[in-house]
Amino acid sequence: MAAVLEVSHVSKFFGGLAANSDVSFTVDEGIILGLIGPNGAGKTTLFNCITGFYPPSRGDVLFRGHRVNGLTPDKVCKLGMARTWQKVRPLAKMTVLDNVIVGALARTNKLSVASEIAMQQLRNVRMDRRAGHLAGGLPIGERKKLEVARVLATQPKLLLLDEVMGGLNPAESEEIIQLILEIKKRRITQIVIEHDMKAIMRISDRIVVLNSGEKLAEGLPREIGSNQQVIAAYLGEAFA
Amino acid sequence: MRPPTPRGLAIAPLLGICALVLALVAFPLVVDSPYALHIMILLFLTVVQGAAWNVVGGYAGQYSVGHSAYFGLGAYATIILLQYRHVAPWWGLWPAVFLAMAVAVIIGSITFRLRGPYFVLASIAVAEIFRLVALNWTSVTNGAEGILLSEIPPLQIGGRTITDFISKVPFYYAVLALAVLTVAANWAVKHSKLGYYLQAIREDQDAAHSLGIALPVYKNIALVISVFFTAWAGAFYGLYVGFIDPATVLTVEVSVQFVLICIIGGIGTIAGPILGAIVLVPLSEALRANLLSDLLFRLGVVSEGTPTGVFLKDNLAHAHALIYGILVVLVILFMPDGVLGFVRRLLARRRPPTQALSAGSEMKGSA
Repeated sequence: MAAVLEVSHVSKFFGGLAANSDVSFTVDEGIILGLIGPNGAGKTTLFNCITGFYPPSRGDVLFRGHRVNGLTPDKVCKLGMARTWQKVRPLAKMTVLDNVIVGALARTNKLSVASEIAMQQLRNVRMDRRAGHLAGGLPIGERKKLEVARVLATQPKLLLLDEVMGGLNPAESEEIIQLILEIKKRRITQIVIEHDMKAIMRISDRIVVLNSGEKLAEGLPREIGSNQQVIAAYLGEAFA
Repeated sequence: MRPPTPRGLAIAPLLGICALVLALVAFPLVVDSPYALHIMILLFLTVVQGAAWNVVGGYAGQYSVGHSAYFGLGAYATIILLQYRHVAPWWGLWPAVFLAMAVAVIIGSITFRLRGPYFVLASIAVAEIFRLVALNWTSVTNGAEGILLSEIPPLQIGGRTITDFISKVPFYYAVLALAVLTVAANWAVKHSKLGYYLQAIREDQDAAHSLGIALPVYKNIALVISVFFTAWAGAFYGLYVGFIDPATVLTVEVSVQFVLICIIGGIGTIAGPILGAIVLVPLSEALRANLLSDLLFRLGVVSEGTPTGVFLKDNLAHAHALIYGILVVLVILFMPDGVLGFVRRLLARRRPPTQALSAGSEMKGSA
């Protein structure tokens, strides 16, 4: 299978602090890649480097063969790579439908077309009943789903989900898991940052582990689950 | 639930708007009081100012407190061309407006890198630079003395020649047309891809950026549209008053006026700037004409002969800024969404909650 994304020796420094150092991995088309690591491991920074919010200090990001580091986030989005935010960012004073329309307008100039795409995406996340509500008034579970619907409306080929299950109850998390698996069926490649190990083990085809900004391990979920270094990074040396 | 089609204009409000415009067109035929016409002209100009600012400040959420720069530029360029180069304003207006738009792109490209309060401060600074240039570049602008317009050449429209610019009727129609155009432009922006993108930028710049919106491009488009109408307003103001100097068209008070109209009426709404103008223009006229102290005398709160009465009569007329300030504080405290938001909430309260909710979103569409 062809690689959709190639992260090649990416480093990001903030002053003297290395938030990412020499991280490399590739993501094959259609898979779900789990990106895990303890707090402060540099997962979100890596997302920012991949999607154009930060230029990497060193290294390259290749998306479907094109070098995208140095491009602004809007251009990255137009190329077909889109991300959600760990801390959700609803367009609070716009309706749920209008939020998703904004996403859909990345691919069309026609409001009527965008509106149809948006409504379809809302149906996919089972939020069409909420179309006329203001996004700012939604509970957290629905804000997370709105975030996913909105980003899907930009019709990405690669989707980067930053802790979409964070702060959700088990039923809501399960709904998101099903959603991620549905997205996979639509052949959209996904990189998923998640803290819920059970969930990430279940949905991921491959897992990359970051620790202190470096790649600690990479492999199939069961390999990662029994990797001594990974257990040590999460629980301390005593448990390894 | 709303149907998944973009909002259109319903028939009833459209008829209402047509009736209102027709009434305003007929107004000078019925009323020939120059003072009434004067107030209406000021009202329309204020609507233009508010609606022009609304595009960049209301929809895109970029709170420019430097619109006096473009207002002044429009006024100065038109008046200088007319007074010193004898270019009739209906020609001179165009280079003035396009100059202001070109300048806006340059300034926008620099200042739109800044966000929030830093952008506001930069916009104030830029307008201040314009004021200082106008003050000191005396060979072109006549500095602090300003420019007194001697006369406006006759205008030929079809078979008619308009020479009578002293009567306010030509200005009335010109400014009315401009106000209608500006409000229509607001409507068009709001119901377009551009409007969605500007509102997304207002709500969350990073989210907007990640959804494929090129921030500098769309902010600049918003500014240029805003400046187009702002420069027109400046030019009409200069031509109407017949005198401009840095103190009347280029001060920070002028910039604040642009913002106030929208804050008071309702930021980011189509009716907001209109309501803001309806509140602000009569209020400032009342203050100027000493109506407030007259009212106090009439009510017997103070008598005209006493030292307090004399003090009030002398000073209340100059209390513009004070009253404006108090008004803004009151609006922010009690009507955070402006007069329009306040009225909507009153209407919503009178209906059962479920209906109120859907009515709220409908009104959001039509306002």
